[in-house]
Amino acid sequence: MGKKYENVFELLIETTVYKKKPGRNRHDPTQRFVNPAPSKRKEPLTYDISRRPSNSVEEEPKRNKNKLVSLPSLQAIKQEASQFKMLTVSVKWQKKVFEGIEIDVSLPPYVFKAQLYDLTGVPPERQKIMVKGGLLKDDADWSSIGVKDGQKLMMMGTADEIVKAPEKAIVFAEDLPEEEQATNLGYSAGLVNLGNTCYMNSTVQCLKSVPELKSALSNYSLAGRSNDVDQTSHMLTVATRELFGDLDRSVNAVSPTQFWMVLRKKFPQFSQLQNGMHMQQDAEECWTQLLYTLSQSLKAPTSSEDSDAVKALFGVNLRSRVHCQESGEESSETESVYSLKCHISHEVNHLHEGLKHGLKGELEKTSPALGRTAVYLKESLIDSLPRYLTVQFVRFFWKRETNQKAKILRKVDYPLELDIYDLCSEELRKKLEAPRQKLRDEEGKKLGLQTKSSSKDGDVKMTDAEAPSNESGESSTAAQQEGASSSEKGTHMTGIYDLVSVLTHKGRSADSGHYVAWVKQESGKWIQYDDSYPSVQREEDITKLSGGGDWHMAYIIMYKARFVSM
Amino acid sequence: MAPGPDPNSIGDGAKRDEATTKVPSKDPKKKDDKKEEDLSEEDLQLKQNLELYVERAQDPNPELQKAALESMSFESLGYRLTGSEGDIGSWGHEYVRNLAGEIAEEYTVRQGEEASIEDLMDLVQQIVAFHMKHNAETEAVDLLMDVEDLDLLLEHVDRANFRRTCNYLTSAAKYLPGPDDMLVLDIAYMIYIKFEEYPNALQIALFLDNMQYVKQVFTSCTDLLRKKQFCYMISRHGITFELDPEMVENDVDREMLQDIVNNTKLSEGYLTLARDIEVMEAKTPEDIYKAHLLDGRASSGPSADSARQNLAATFVNAFVNAGFGQDKLMTVPSDSTSGSAGNWLFKNKEHGKTSAAASLGMILLWDVDAGLTHLDKYFHSNDNPIIAGALLGVGIVNCGIKNDCDPALALLGEYIDKEDSSVRIGAIMGLGIAYAGSQNDQIRSNLSPILNDAKAPLDVIAFAALSLGMIYVGSCNEEVAQSIIFALMDRSEAELGEALTRFLPLGLGLLYLGKQQESVEATAEVSKTFNEKIRKYCDMTLLSCAYAGTGNVLKVQDLLAQCGEHLEKGDIHQGPAVLGLAMVAMSEELGLDMAIRSLERVLQYGEQNVRRAVPLALGLLCISNPKVTVMDTLSRLSHDTDSEVAMSAIVSLGLIGAGTNNARIAGMLRNLSSYYYKDASLLFCVRIAQGLVHMGKGLLTLSPFHSERLLLSPTALAGIVTLLHSCLDMKSIILGKYHYVLYFLVLAMQPRMMLTVDENLKPISVPVRVGQAVDVVGQAGRPKTITGFQTHSTPVLLAAGERAELATDKYIPLSPILEGFIILKENPDYREE
Repeated sequence: MGKKYENVFELLIETTVYKKKPGRNRHDPTQRFVNPAPSKRKEPLTYDISRRPSNSVEEEPKRNKNKLVSLPSLQAIKQEASQFKMLTVSVKWQKKVFEGIEIDVSLPPYVFKAQLYDLTGVPPERQKIMVKGGLLKDDADWSSIGVKDGQKLMMMGTADEIVKAPEKAIVFAEDLPEEEQATNLGYSAGLVNLGNTCYMNSTVQCLKSVPELKSALSNYSLAGRSNDVDQTSHMLTVATRELFGDLDRSVNAVSPTQFWMVLRKKFPQFSQLQNGMHMQQDAEECWTQLLYTLSQSLKAPTSSEDSDAVKALFGVNLRSRVHCQESGEESSETESVYSLKCHISHEVNHLHEGLKHGLKGELEKTSPALGRTAVYLKESLIDSLPRYLTVQFVRFFWKRETNQKAKILRKVDYPLELDIYDLCSEELRKKLEAPRQKLRDEEGKKLGLQTKSSSKDGDVKMTDAEAPSNESGESSTAAQQEGASSSEKGTHMTGIYDLVSVLTHKGRSADSGHYVAWVKQESGKWIQYDDSYPSVQREEDITKLSGGGDWHMAYIIMYKARFVSM
Repeated sequence: MAPGPDPNSIGDGAKRDEATTKVPSKDPKKKDDKKEEDLSEEDLQLKQNLELYVERAQDPNPELQKAALESMSFESLGYRLTGSEGDIGSWGHEYVRNLAGEIAEEYTVRQGEEASIEDLMDLVQQIVAFHMKHNAETEAVDLLMDVEDLDLLLEHVDRANFRRTCNYLTSAAKYLPGPDDMLVLDIAYMIYIKFEEYPNALQIALFLDNMQYVKQVFTSCTDLLRKKQFCYMISRHGITFELDPEMVENDVDREMLQDIVNNTKLSEGYLTLARDIEVMEAKTPEDIYKAHLLDGRASSGPSADSARQNLAATFVNAFVNAGFGQDKLMTVPSDSTSGSAGNWLFKNKEHGKTSAAASLGMILLWDVDAGLTHLDKYFHSNDNPIIAGALLGVGIVNCGIKNDCDPALALLGEYIDKEDSSVRIGAIMGLGIAYAGSQNDQIRSNLSPILNDAKAPLDVIAFAALSLGMIYVGSCNEEVAQSIIFALMDRSEAELGEALTRFLPLGLGLLYLGKQQESVEATAEVSKTFNEKIRKYCDMTLLSCAYAGTGNVLKVQDLLAQCGEHLEKGDIHQGPAVLGLAMVAMSEELGLDMAIRSLERVLQYGEQNVRRAVPLALGLLCISNPKVTVMDTLSRLSHDTDSEVAMSAIVSLGLIGAGTNNARIAGMLRNLSSYYYKDASLLFCVRIAQGLVHMGKGLLTLSPFHSERLLLSPTALAGIVTLLHSCLDMKSIILGKYHYVLYFLVLAMQPRMMLTVDENLKPISVPVRVGQAVDVVGQAGRPKTITGFQTHSTPVLLAAGERAELATDKYIPLSPILEGFIILKENPDYREE
């Protein structure tokens, strides 16, 4: 109830018993304003007591008497008013209709509103009463409004709380600076195709998905440049770092102009032209060259050669047994590669078969025992595991008869979870035993199975694969140690890998077609980076990139090691 | 020379043979005989005679040739006129039919010569009487139309054939040029009145927009219950109609009937339907988007609120929950934890809040009391966009509902001249929606001054013109026309280039909606003096509005010619021309199909600004009627490289599926939402379309046609056309800050239901058959009117092209057109089996 109300109309309220009383509330308001008998018209603002609910009978007459006595002057006013026409109207409010409400046309409409306040509980200033041509004004003249006897009026209004803006203003995505909009999406931007550069774009997107590589790059500084790194390598490394940064910050597709320029400077073979256009190149070549350059420049200048960050992340140590059947000679050698090859022959239907195939090979070399060239059999096994295992499907080969690079379209399945235990050497297998058992136990527990706990009852958590990567500072060193298998830090390789990125090629020949990157995000979503257009993909569709048709088929895939802490 | 076909002469056999042999036929005789077997005696005779004439006409003798040619024309007519005047039917149907054909031709000849036609009319009398007695009403009507004397029909119709006659007349009217079509309908009206088939008479009276006739229906009928049914029919048509004591004597009855005309019970009926179908549960925008069905999108979306997306959600929420009185964003009671009510409101930005507040009006559509209660709190806000929204909401809630207290006028009137232009627009647009078609003089006197106020901003003027156009839709009101014309002339060169300026010609056009040439002529003449920037736009808009729903082929051709021109960039009049094509052709099925095909061509050869309008035209042609072919075209265009074409195609997908819950369109839109998820503008359009498809949870339609597609509600069409014109410049209007023009669609929103009520107007459930409507025009006997039907119990939903019929004899419906509210009377002859 407003202040004004109380001051100005106090008098009227008193006399007309319009004061709100908790006991005598509005349980049946219509009864209190029933149409009085014609004889009573001289005192229009009184009411028929007999019709009132019994509980208030005792109190009301007294009050009635009181005011009539105490305010004689008002009676005079009423007498005067009675000379005017008294109007009886009905008022519709929400779904209710209040019948027979009297209007004293000598009093301003505010009085009428006060009457309605009592009936509805809507304060007069919130009442909107529709009369012909507009709303009823508090100080209007009834005669000019043209309300007729028996007319139905309509009232709008509630005592509801008025809406207020929330104290903390809502921040809309549209108002955010561009970088924050980027993080909002949950994945980074695409790369503009600069003219047959999809091989490069997809390579960059795949490599960018390795957080450890990103952090290693961010540690690379101008000052950190060692003398044995040539100028172009240095520039390429910086360009890579910048490009990765741009991708993370931007919402819209990034144009990798600088990177491309430096890449071509370092590797002039990517500048080949055909019909005035830059030629499509082999993504594998780009991948290998880029990684090699990075491995050179990211070698910490201070420490020894095993501080090669790239090697620690991607390097696979192979121990090979070279055996000549003719002479029975046997030797063993070790080598370090950045990727395993999956050879595709008629027997190969699955990645695992292809890898095995790739680790066995024949080579011709001069046998010191025979004194001529002889066929040697080379069998390799993995001696140490990388954090990121890269596998290349050897889909392109040089067809001698046509002098063409041809593509093998054969379908080769690959799993989302790869176990390479049986490709490992005996020593490595031994090291893997315990962690694998642990992993199995963990999984068993997850499935709710009872495990013969070989380990202690202690609450050992399997560290999430992402965990170490977050501590960017440590990661490179951690990686190195884990690269050498046994670790003091408590996390161990298991020989089990999870698929994190796929680089595909679509098209029938090696020199044409289209490269696309498919990268798993930290959130678990798969994103397809088709040059400047990233789009969300389903996980089950990722395994469908296995070839055998004209759809995108995997060319290079990358797995991430699964760790277990002990 | 050769005798006429004379079935009486029997000795004709030899002659026939002779004739056959003389024919210079290249076919061997045997083959000829075979063919003859297939023909009836009568046809055979005709054929042979014809062959004979052909042969003689080729005769080298010019005399013979001339005679042969003469004998071909009106031979039987000549004999008949000179011969005996026996019973015309005694020579069989074919003879009469032949005679009728000759009369028609002779009539035109004599018209040319201004010769007397008395003798012909005598014959016509006989022929019509014969046809009408022998189930050949269509031929009688055809003959009378040829001799331009349909009045004769009135004497010859009887209880048995008047329905078929009228049926033929009404459908023939669609293909007649004006003013013949009106004459034909006039006759149909009179016949219906003669046989006390009042609902049909009323239907035609409404079609003719002849209030005198409507009144006559009321005064001719004495049954109060039937009058109630009339009132339901008028209320569906959406016109303002005042009953007077002459029509209904008793005051109490009249008030009750007026309530029906005023649509006060629409909300109740709609909710009855919703409860019966069990769709009362409020739906959220997420329920509509169904993101979980999309690839990998189920995981967390963007963390911050996007104003664009929230605005889209506001509209989706409003459309989907329209009229249900409850939703999960706007009407939820405020909980203490999250502070004051209206949390969702504040998830919208600036002008977005206008649409959010107004969405309450949509949710509480037709329920004025509850709507005003909900909106009240926003009136006291100190945020102008919110007040504007509340005002607009009041207009929406009152859409199609009339009330003695005129709450909308009382509430909105005060805000028309406020300082803030968003508030003014809210009030003006609210009035336009609430009083569309009412021709309310008070509002005119309030709004007209704004048009010619030099200080008023352009957007306020544009909306004022539009609202006036809506309020006076199809009225040809000169004063309003003048105000808008002056307003147009006062605009500066720069203002004429603004996107919103298009509402001025549109408002002008709406005044003449469906009224054809005579009425619009003067204004069209004036429009020639306009600045050239707007002149052609105005021309096209006036033309298309004036002929909207007439199916006038000549105008379609005119408009097609406009679309085919290849113009300089910057000319915008082709957009309304394309829309006009659809507006003119939309009324009648054949023309509609032809228009769809023509639009395909336009799409291929048209300029870009034409292509942008084509999807919208398709959307109008098939509104709430998802034809598969159109769906496919739009689906294709929704991936167009021109983003504006794509946007209009997407919105049109929503329009053709509006209120149908069509699963195929829903699927398409879902895929589009993932395809365009990065493009905020296109995604917004996709969301709007999704909201439209699920409008009213599938209980509503946007189709302006009703009463078996005969009647076109002018206000509904006005609402749709306004939205489409706004879509011609999507970027500046709907994607700009005037997105609330989407609410103009409320004018076309109607429950697509059939609800049966008893004599006390309480809903009752009866079995009905619902099936695809069959065209039975000109068919003999009592053919089935629906096919492939299913039996349901009322209330039922009717899809586009569907028709219902009662599956019980227990009740008699008071209107033969089973749509909307239908009063059932108990059948006194009904026997329980």
